[in-house]
Amino acid sequence: MNAPTRNIAHSADAKTVEEGLAAQNFDGPVDSTAATEVAMQNTLLTPRFYTTDFDEMDAIDVSPVRADWDELIGRMKSDPNKGHFKKNEDWDHIDWEGMEPKLRAEFIDFLISSCTAEFSGCVLYKEMKRRGSNEDIVTLFQLMARDEARHAGFINDALREAGIAVNLGFLTQAKKYTYFRPKFIYYATYLSEKIGYARYITIYRHLEANPDKRFHPIFKWFKEWCNDEFSHGEAFALLMKSDPKLTSGVNKLWIKFFLTAVFSTMWVRDHQRPAFHEALGVDPAWYGQEVFRKTSEISRQVFPLTLDIDHPRWVPGLDRLDRANRQIAAAKKRGGVGGKLSQWAGSAKAGAAFLSLLLIPSVPCEVPVSPRMEPAY
Amino acid sequence: MGLFTRERQTVPCTVTISHCFDELSAHVRFNDGSVVGPGDTVEVQGAEIMAPYGEVVSEDRTAIITRASGIERLWTRATGDFEFMELCEFSFSEEALS
Repeated sequence: MNAPTRNIAHSADAKTVEEGLAAQNFDGPVDSTAATEVAMQNTLLTPRFYTTDFDEMDAIDVSPVRADWDELIGRMKSDPNKGHFKKNEDWDHIDWEGMEPKLRAEFIDFLISSCTAEFSGCVLYKEMKRRGSNEDIVTLFQLMARDEARHAGFINDALREAGIAVNLGFLTQAKKYTYFRPKFIYYATYLSEKIGYARYITIYRHLEANPDKRFHPIFKWFKEWCNDEFSHGEAFALLMKSDPKLTSGVNKLWIKFFLTAVFSTMWVRDHQRPAFHEALGVDPAWYGQEVFRKTSEISRQVFPLTLDIDHPRWVPGLDRLDRANRQIAAAKKRGGVGGKLSQWAGSAKAGAAFLSLLLIPSVPCEVPVSPRMEPAY
Repeated sequence: MGLFTRERQTVPCTVTISHCFDELSAHVRFNDGSVVGPGDTVEVQGAEIMAPYGEVVSEDRTAIITRASGIERLWTRATGDFEFMELCEFSFSEEALS
């Protein structure tokens, strides 16, 4: 153990792991059951489990993009963000008790959902690493699993400070494995990483300009965090670039579908968290469009089309989807026959709104020969 | 694999959990090299596992893999793709909070 170890009240204030373990909230027997301390509120992580066609994925040949690939992997291996994701003197004290309850609830939902997403990504990437034999693919997934586990650890730290312990009870519960075609994994994870970058950097830049709105120190870490997301997206861009079929023909329709689904889901979920956005001083509609604009600009590196987010039907369509979603949520809460009917009506409206968004003509674009980009926002 | 019947297999596995500031992860590895397919269900036997903060634990356990029936496998292959939204990181859960 490192000496001297300060006597501190909570592991969240610890500067080292040893200090954390010696903190008062770790008193008592620390075994695997006591680990999720009684005093802490438990939250069950519920990651998803996927399988895919591992043989198909293993057959990827990155030779057409070899130079870009080696450069990217080399940088990821050098691990520029090692040691970054831990609390330092920039981690301001947070008065969790004094936080407005609605904001607290929404912010904790934000942390738990982020932690779950990182965790699910880690499980998926690790599984791919384990099932693959193609050296390029195995290396990439190993590096990405490392980053995701690191991010999850960091968010977990922030949650612990709020008195919330994650519970990995899902491990000993029956879990079903669903299935994704490899190409859908590329589209979905590529977009997820790039939109994640756009989301985090937009908040980071906004708070840089308005530091009084930074109600939690974790936002200060968003820049390096989203640079990891950016690199992961780069790797998927190269994977898609290595096989032109993935971004042509009927697959263009899939790309449009994925873009529409991802953008509209983000819009709906963000609009369900008004207190969070108000505390940041961000209008969710402005934020949504800003993130879509950045994501579109980036995705031109590999997708042959972007969505027309300035089309007169775009924002009204998203708002219709949002209203339909609220109707469904309210109907579910109400229950009974009336609730069920209202829920079905809401689902029909949501379906119609989504279809109308999907039918907005997309904007074709020229894809550059080399997709590689650097985070520029 | 039967068209309608599920098969249960008991396999030894290793569960590794890291609960550190720089890594929160949990992985289950089947020691006999078993692999899971679409629609299969995995259940690790025994009590809940969690590493104390700052530690990595590894435990040998037994897992029960319930193999999906032929129909289930087809169904999962056909419909699994539509759960892709769960892969996307929107940083918020699906449920409305208020």
